[in-house]
Amino acid sequence: MTPLDAIAAAIRTVLHDTGRDAAAIAPEMLLAADLGLDSLDLAQTIVLLERSLGVDPFRAAPAVAPRPAIRTVSDLVSIYSAAIDSPRSHTP
Amino acid sequence: MTTAANATTIAHLADAPAEDRLASAVALVARQFPDRTAIVANAGGDSRRVIDYATLAAAITKLEAELAGARPVGIVARAKRVESLVVIAAACGREHVPVAFLAEDARDLVGELRDWLPLDDSLTLPPTAAAGPRREFETVPPQVVVATSGTSGPPKLVDHSWDSLLAAARLAEQWHGRGWLLVYDATRWAGLQVWLQALLTAGRIVVPASRDPDLVAKACLDEDVSILPATPTLLRRLITSGDRAAVSTMKLDRITLGGEAADAQLLDQAKALFPNAKITHVYATTELGEVFRVTDGSAGFPAEWIGKQLPGGARLSMRRDGELLVQLSRDTAEVATGDLVERRGKRFEFTGRRSDVIVVGGAKVFPKRVEEILRGVPGIAEARVYGLPSAITGELVAAEIVVHEPLPAGTTPDQVRSAALAICRERLEPHAVPRLLDFVKKLATTAAGKIPRR
Repeated sequence: MTPLDAIAAAIRTVLHDTGRDAAAIAPEMLLAADLGLDSLDLAQTIVLLERSLGVDPFRAAPAVAPRPAIRTVSDLVSIYSAAIDSPRSHTP
Repeated sequence: MTTAANATTIAHLADAPAEDRLASAVALVARQFPDRTAIVANAGGDSRRVIDYATLAAAITKLEAELAGARPVGIVARAKRVESLVVIAAACGREHVPVAFLAEDARDLVGELRDWLPLDDSLTLPPTAAAGPRREFETVPPQVVVATSGTSGPPKLVDHSWDSLLAAARLAEQWHGRGWLLVYDATRWAGLQVWLQALLTAGRIVVPASRDPDLVAKACLDEDVSILPATPTLLRRLITSGDRAAVSTMKLDRITLGGEAADAQLLDQAKALFPNAKITHVYATTELGEVFRVTDGSAGFPAEWIGKQLPGGARLSMRRDGELLVQLSRDTAEVATGDLVERRGKRFEFTGRRSDVIVVGGAKVFPKRVEEILRGVPGIAEARVYGLPSAITGELVAAEIVVHEPLPAGTTPDQVRSAALAICRERLEPHAVPRLLDFVKKLATTAAGKIPRR
């Protein structure tokens, strides 16, 4: 599964679980404005992705490092792609 | 089996010094009814073991002699078998040797008990015992050290006197010669209470081979158990996951719940399934011992108990944030229990442990409340709600659920999941709705029989 597929699947689950319609998900979509994701939804997405991709880049990152802006689906894709390439960030 | 012959003698046990009572009670029954069963271990399993009172009394006498010779500073009970723990407790009490019961997860704390000798199922003191430090003085009464369950923090050791350990034991005749189910860990406060109570009243301790609901039901039936002390979690598992026919044949006349709050739904289910059983829930902690018991079959406790002295002498009060405070007697300090209560009509009900509260984006969630809602969803038998760490919101509400087997015809697990989330969305604030809902075959429980929260 590519990161984009996994992210799209996770977002669809979040929307479905919270009783919303899961529309088509495209990389350029804004997480908040287009998909309606709030911080709880994002937190759930991250937990689901840890299960499907085996990484949690947000937990692995040192607390002092500035968190990259996450505005679009493709922001998430780049964060997860980078995390998957860095073996140290894999959760045990 | 009649106990009439020794009923008055048992009642007189209360006059003996507390540390002598266990050994005296066992010896008393052993003299009158040597073959009477004291303990059934691995009940319902393949390697069932029966220990009678005469065997138990002989082992106690033997260990007493060893302790009298070695005079150790203290004994750490490392035995795994219930009968060995009984022998160690009785002999140490009689010989005024301090004794510690360390549950599996508290073994690291043994360092705090320097110079104390370990004693395992062989019930033989190590050969070095004679050369070790000896107790010189008998100025303080011997204590019993018990580890807390560590449900809401690392386990710690708590000192008790034999008096406080036996304070809740009931010696009246109605309690004599009964079969007691021991599903608790025998080294913990709750487990100690059960086996001490059983042996002080010429009863039978029945230890099931596992906590599997069907096996527990079989053990109760086979061994004529009439008293079931359990956590609400263990009782709920028996009721919801056990074979209905087997469970309903259990002839219980007492169910004593403790260790966690009992909710109205469980109390109602238990009343329906065991109409002849008196259901009591006990509020006790390893530190305080038993504080009060509620016998009216409703959840929580009567609202007028707050601020009033209870029959046992304890006084309850409440902090502004809802935490229950207990003052055991006039000359003791008020203790914060870590348990949160909330007024509902004429009752105060427990909302959960302060340390169990899940904080999602700064807002509090009581896992017990979410569990109660999940358990009310058709198809769901058991539920556990816990906090999952999240870099975004601090924590996230997560749940594990066990569905009824089999599910009603035409119902899929997916439908149960959707229904559960829909009901939670309807009844809970958005941050309290579980964000992760997993189906599991069975819920994890702690060694103390409670729901783990992290």
